[in-house]
Amino acid sequence: MAQFLNTVFNGLSLSSIILLTSLGLAITFGLMRVINMAHGEFVMIGAYMTYLTQRIFMAALPGSLFSMYYFAAIPIAFVVTFLLGSFMEWAVISRLYGREIDSLLATCGISLVLQQAARHIFGAQGVNVTTPKFLSGGITIGGCTFSYNRLFIMLFVALILFAMWFVIYRSNFGKQMRAVMQNRPMAQCMGINSRKADNLTFGIGSGLAGLAGCSVALLGSIDAGVGQNYIVNSFMAVVLGGVGKLLGTVLGSSIIGFSGITAESFTSSSIAKAIVLLIIILFLQKRPQGLFTIRSRSLDE
Amino acid sequence: MLQIKGLDTYYGESRVIAGLDLTVKKGSVTCLIGRNGVGKSTTLKSVMGLVKTPCGQILFNGQDMIKMPTYNRVKLGMGYVPQGRDIFPQMTVQENLELGLQPKGGKGEIPHYIYELFPILPQFAKRKGGDLSGGQQQQLAIARALAAEPKILILDEPTEGIQPSIIQDIETAIRKIKTEKGITVFLVEQYLEFVLNVSHEIYIMEKGNIVLHGATKELDAANIQKILTE
Repeated sequence: MAQFLNTVFNGLSLSSIILLTSLGLAITFGLMRVINMAHGEFVMIGAYMTYLTQRIFMAALPGSLFSMYYFAAIPIAFVVTFLLGSFMEWAVISRLYGREIDSLLATCGISLVLQQAARHIFGAQGVNVTTPKFLSGGITIGGCTFSYNRLFIMLFVALILFAMWFVIYRSNFGKQMRAVMQNRPMAQCMGINSRKADNLTFGIGSGLAGLAGCSVALLGSIDAGVGQNYIVNSFMAVVLGGVGKLLGTVLGSSIIGFSGITAESFTSSSIAKAIVLLIIILFLQKRPQGLFTIRSRSLDE
Repeated sequence: MLQIKGLDTYYGESRVIAGLDLTVKKGSVTCLIGRNGVGKSTTLKSVMGLVKTPCGQILFNGQDMIKMPTYNRVKLGMGYVPQGRDIFPQMTVQENLELGLQPKGGKGEIPHYIYELFPILPQFAKRKGGDLSGGQQQQLAIARALAAEPKILILDEPTEGIQPSIIQDIETAIRKIKTEKGITVFLVEQYLEFVLNVSHEIYIMEKGNIVLHGATKELDAANIQKILTE
């Protein structure tokens, strides 16, 4: 029983981490169809922002307030990566719409530049973030320990997911965004400034990567390549779920997370990775369009 | 209301429209007709700013908008229904309609008369736009273009691929829009009978230019037919 609970918890935890890094991609890759190879670096930047905020709190504020740094880090990471993403869309991506291979190459280059820049500023050695007091430790139920920071990440993902759903499906900006992504010329004919919508959408996708960076910072040491560890799983989750669907990304992440953890409990972790990849390859052979597909009369014609 | 002067339109390097002049009078229903591929839809796209127009003027109530981006032109009071209807397929009928309010900043209510014009719309409010039939999509597209209460309604082949009874409805709708709301209508069409019924003025286009122009009453239907089929 304890074994089972443990597997479920770890599966949920891994899924939520994959989901967190995938949500930004679900927007930039899923909705906008831009293959942003530098997405992982936005995660890395978010993590470093968390580290920086911690350093500032350590130096400038009394120790009793130290744990609060994490709450400051979340908006800081979002805003910084949002602005960077928005700048990158304006400077590079917007000039390459409709040229997927070129934008893939360009963002790949940006990814290398950002990694090297991080090495230059923060050093090649990984840095660590001190887990805030209220997130250290855990709670033990039925012989299993659930650590607070993993529980926190699950809650964090749930909150972000809700916020995203609200922005995309309930706000006026979300309506504009969906219209632009579905039919750009017609959206313009509805009086929607599509340049602004593209830019904000890409910024939000990047900002979400920054938020993911905040929680990645809690899980281990941060170095210039930290984003790369997550990005492959994220791309797989988005493709598996069906490009362009939020719910698909949620399910895609869960499948990768749970199958990974389950396979790991029987074999070693590297074999588990191979098994997950095999499952995905087989699945995409059967359904190349992913779990969820967008179908309608006008698209079938 | 709408004046096109010396307009050139390009697709890539090739010139599709050369030195076009055309006027749509306020409160009129003006039709542009012609065979396939003579540049009718392209004329409408030029007015909307969806294609490259390096030369000429497009005046809307005296204001030249040839350099304005599409989304700002619409805000001057233009409603556009493109040829393929271009309903947003993954949005509900209601959402599609509400998008029509975007030129006003997404605020306000959809004018009630639109539901009277197209009574099927409330029944389908929750359906996905992409699930509607061609005729229903056409009605939705017209309703959407009217939502922000435009001064001019621009229609690209509203009867294309649509069953006769709905063509009848659309014809009635265009009349009501003009007489009751005073909205100017500019439409491109191939279906001559429909054009003769609904329009005040006709422009006939051939190879990117106007070959004949006049009031509908004064033009000889047989002559138009000849130009169109020749």
